Amino acid sequence: MRVGTIPSAAYDDLPYTRGGAVDRADVGALVQSAVDGDAAAWKALVEGLSPLVWSVVRAHRLSDADAHEVYQTVWFRFAQHLGRIREPEKAGSWLASTARHECLKVLKSLRRLTVTNDPQLLDRVSEDRTPEQSVLDSEEAAAESERIRWMWQEFEELGERCRQLLRVLMASPPPSYQEVSAALGIAVGSIGPLRQRCLRRLRARLDARGAQ
Amino acid sequence: MHEDVTGEGSPGDDGFDIELLEEELRQAASILDPVPAQLCQLAVEAFALHDLDARIAELTFDSVEDAIPVRGATDVPRMLTFRAGEVTVDVEVTAQGLMGQVLPPQQARIEVLGGPQTATPVDADDMGRFASDAPPSGPFALRLRTGGEVVVTEWLRA
Repeated sequence: MRVGTIPSAAYDDLPYTRGGAVDRADVGALVQSAVDGDAAAWKALVEGLSPLVWSVVRAHRLSDADAHEVYQTVWFRFAQHLGRIREPEKAGSWLASTARHECLKVLKSLRRLTVTNDPQLLDRVSEDRTPEQSVLDSEEAAAESERIRWMWQEFEELGERCRQLLRVLMASPPPSYQEVSAALGIAVGSIGPLRQRCLRRLRARLDARGAQ
Repeated sequence: MHEDVTGEGSPGDDGFDIELLEEELRQAASILDPVPAQLCQLAVEAFALHDLDARIAELTFDSVEDAIPVRGATDVPRMLTFRAGEVTVDVEVTAQGLMGQVLPPQQARIEVLGGPQTATPVDADDMGRFASDAPPSGPFALRLRTGGEVVVTEWLRA
């Protein structure tokens, strides 16, 4: 395993070590406080790591119903295992890998239920998501919202590998490479180069669209 | 000093572009596909499920993962086995409900948990057999009280 051998352009892994080292620094301490019964620490963990769990679930393109159930299962299990997790500071990776595992299980049981390998089935991304129009009411904001929707469309049309990686990377705060690795089952060392390639591809799509 | 380390694309201010683009994607995700608020609330409430005194019965068999599918069989029951030390819980989930047995056979008070707020008691006979005609929907766990001990099965999606 080539762990930690990211061919590093300076910009390559910076935001991730930063996201990992600073924003996540107190995860271990929060887990410990939660174990001791501090509900506020638990809430902070949920708020800080929910976007990561949600991103992992979304990256696997589950139906809305399945996505909701996997998200809940992951958090219920985390609450249950709290205090028994060996490396509390790596709670993000624990959550990401549990989410991945549950997603793969859902996909497996779907495949089992339907004899056909209908790709449409795995493509049941919800149609009912809409941007929060109420927030975006001025003309300027409308243009901005249009741009965001464009970008989202182009992102959705990327190849599966890129779409998956980018969906996990766009969790907020940015996940560490260890978390991304746990979320997608790919080697830490391959994330940096793949990320660059995927973002370049997206940029190219956006440029092409803009030039039309 | 910009080397094109990945051997593709152009060097130069590309790096900045890439960071910016990822940040824009992050903003887009927070607007177009945020964590649903009710889910986040459920996760906050899940703190109630934290119980250091209960033993966790780990999933040791799941037919979705460990069994070979039977060709053409559609409505196969989900078979699950959990274990905590010497206590084993076998569970079968079908569209009609849930049944199972605690082994070694013993009396137990069992509850089917459906989330931080839902617990439905089910009867178990002195052979440890239990049944419920309400199939769990969504995540569930079983809480067993037996011989002065509390055992909770690992949370699972039915």
